Amino acid sequence: MPWSHRGNAMTGDRKPSAINNAVPTKASRTKLNRRKFLARTGGALAAGAFGAVPLRGWAADPINIGALYPSTGSMAQIGTGCVAAAKLAVDMVNEAGGIKSLGGAKLNLIVSDVQSDTTVTRTETDRLISGNKLSAIHGCYASALTLIASEVCERARVPIITGSSSDQLNKGRSYTFTPFARASQFAKAQLQMAKLVSQQAKVAVIFENTAFGTSTSNGLKELAPGEGVEIVMFEPYSAGFTDASPLINKVKASGANTLFSLSYLNDLILIVRTVKQVGLDIAINGGSGGFVMPDFYKNVGKAAEGLQGVAHWNHDVNDDAQKVNAEFKKRTGEFAFEYAGGLVAQTFMLADALERAASADPKKVREALSTLDVSSGYAAMAPGGKVKFGPDGKNVYGRPVGVQWQNADLASIFPKEDARAPLMKT
Amino acid sequence: MWETLAQAVINGLLIGGIYALVSIGVTLIFGVVKIVNFAQGEFVMLGMYISFFLATQFGIDPLVSLVVSMPVLFLAGVLLQHFLIRRVLGPNDMPQIFLTFALSLLLLNLSLMLFSANYRTVHTSYSDAAWHIGGLYIPVAKLIAFAVAMALSGLLWVFLHTTDLGRAMRAASQNRDVAMLMGINPNRVFAVAFGTALALAGAAGSLLMPFYSAYPFVGQVFVLMAFVAVVMGTLGNVMGALVASLMMGIAESLGIQFVGADSGLIVVFALLLLTLAFRPSGLGARRGR
Repeated sequence: MPWSHRGNAMTGDRKPSAINNAVPTKASRTKLNRRKFLARTGGALAAGAFGAVPLRGWAADPINIGALYPSTGSMAQIGTGCVAAAKLAVDMVNEAGGIKSLGGAKLNLIVSDVQSDTTVTRTETDRLISGNKLSAIHGCYASALTLIASEVCERARVPIITGSSSDQLNKGRSYTFTPFARASQFAKAQLQMAKLVSQQAKVAVIFENTAFGTSTSNGLKELAPGEGVEIVMFEPYSAGFTDASPLINKVKASGANTLFSLSYLNDLILIVRTVKQVGLDIAINGGSGGFVMPDFYKNVGKAAEGLQGVAHWNHDVNDDAQKVNAEFKKRTGEFAFEYAGGLVAQTFMLADALERAASADPKKVREALSTLDVSSGYAAMAPGGKVKFGPDGKNVYGRPVGVQWQNADLASIFPKEDARAPLMKT
Repeated sequence: MWETLAQAVINGLLIGGIYALVSIGVTLIFGVVKIVNFAQGEFVMLGMYISFFLATQFGIDPLVSLVVSMPVLFLAGVLLQHFLIRRVLGPNDMPQIFLTFALSLLLLNLSLMLFSANYRTVHTSYSDAAWHIGGLYIPVAKLIAFAVAMALSGLLWVFLHTTDLGRAMRAASQNRDVAMLMGINPNRVFAVAFGTALALAGAAGSLLMPFYSAYPFVGQVFVLMAFVAVVMGTLGNVMGALVASLMMGIAESLGIQFVGADSGLIVVFALLLLTLAFRPSGLGARRGR
């Protein structure tokens, strides 16, 4: 047994090498047994914790829905929130009687951790599809991961529905559905919001030098002249800095009255705190992602009041969304953030498609999704209030909502049709 | 222009103080024990979490919790040296590299499990405060962090130069074999060196907490700078690491200010290459050893 050899080597080879010949001593035998025991009980425990699928005598075969989210690694924070929302959504569909056209079949969520890693995403998506009879998949929230998962789904002909905003997801794919606003729409909304603060909007754009930051900032730059917004500073920075002061020093020198920061959470927290420290009087638009998460407010505190951002979903968008928010809050203690709420809507879109397809076959589910047309109920709770997919899988009614941190909560303030609270002047 | 320049230097100097605490720890371990501690950043992270939990659970100010985080990490360092590091010391470098690297991965993933990937911030009365002098501003929390970092570095210098144990550590750093022949107990010296290095990392964590967020990966942000400073300041040279850290903080800040916001590290590494081109063993080579 190779393990006993290694065990000796690791404990410093106290016994003169007696590895290949002798009968194991009593001590080493009990050690081995203990190891076996641990391995077995450990395995059993693990099976109990991760493997077991609740089987509760269903009337009809359950319908498997795959969920790909990073619940470990650097993106775990939003990923675990997504998993909580996915579970809530499935419970809601099942409690309402499941899929009636399939004899009240329940949805069965199969969660897979993509570990915030593109390579793992590819193998996990493959594994999820080949190991289970799936009707559809949703995930992965982070565009970089979703792009890969959607490729795999395309090849395997399993529909994937996602809250990711990358415009690339709508190119050359027929199994990918994006019910919410696209990245290019976010940029436009942000520019229009800059004019809420001042008619002479002078914007400083700072963005991390990654695919996300570069593509979003270029979108802003292209659209700015058309929206009558002047960009006075356009500066990439390296993500994960230790100190935001030099960067804010530059923003100060640029004379901007609005700051667009295209950053992940930690950088953004530092940027906002540093702006307050410097005493710079500037409106900040933090965009989407980490900025519209409950955690942002917890970290920044009062300094977050009045900060603006954009989201593809917000919990005050209509009464259904408020209900989802209340339930999500009860389960997790936080308000339903954009991906969480969006995910509940997506699950109801899938349920609607399954209902009409009257089949768990992924190809038929895709067909039904492509003809989805809803304007009421949980499936339609989104800015715009309607969902209908175009040939590129994009919701033709999808649009972003402008939000502002007000009293530790996110309020929708833009555009007029979606505004649920007036703009708070800072 | 002058104002911008002065502000950039102030910003760089203040963050350089934190780099110094991390890099002095790395260089101390390398100098005395002759191993590279890849997990140093993770101990900064642990220091931050200690301060975070003391602040949120007991309302203890992060700066006060220094008196907890430093001893706790000192003890951790001594135990680590005694139970793990000691066993891999020998002519072969590979086990040492794997050990500290594994330790880094272990701590990272354990804290991901225990604390989750969320960012944790402590708000103190001075967190977002700053002194405005003319057109310049000096963030209070960073100034305190800098001052304490310099004081701790000074104390370490005094310890290394005036106490028997400190002299023994320097002796072991200069020539381990001869030091042992002179009757210096290497295990004791190594344990103190490891403990001190980790205590400094803990101090860095506590000092960071009022103005920086804690999260499992936070150590990696600082440890890269620390390694650069250690090389630039001559491996094993405490003074060299201190000076190099401050220089790097300033270089990074000037780079961001005048070259481009994504060029801070480029300037830092350019400075490193320049230094190595003219003084291949680093800044501290002539004086220190």
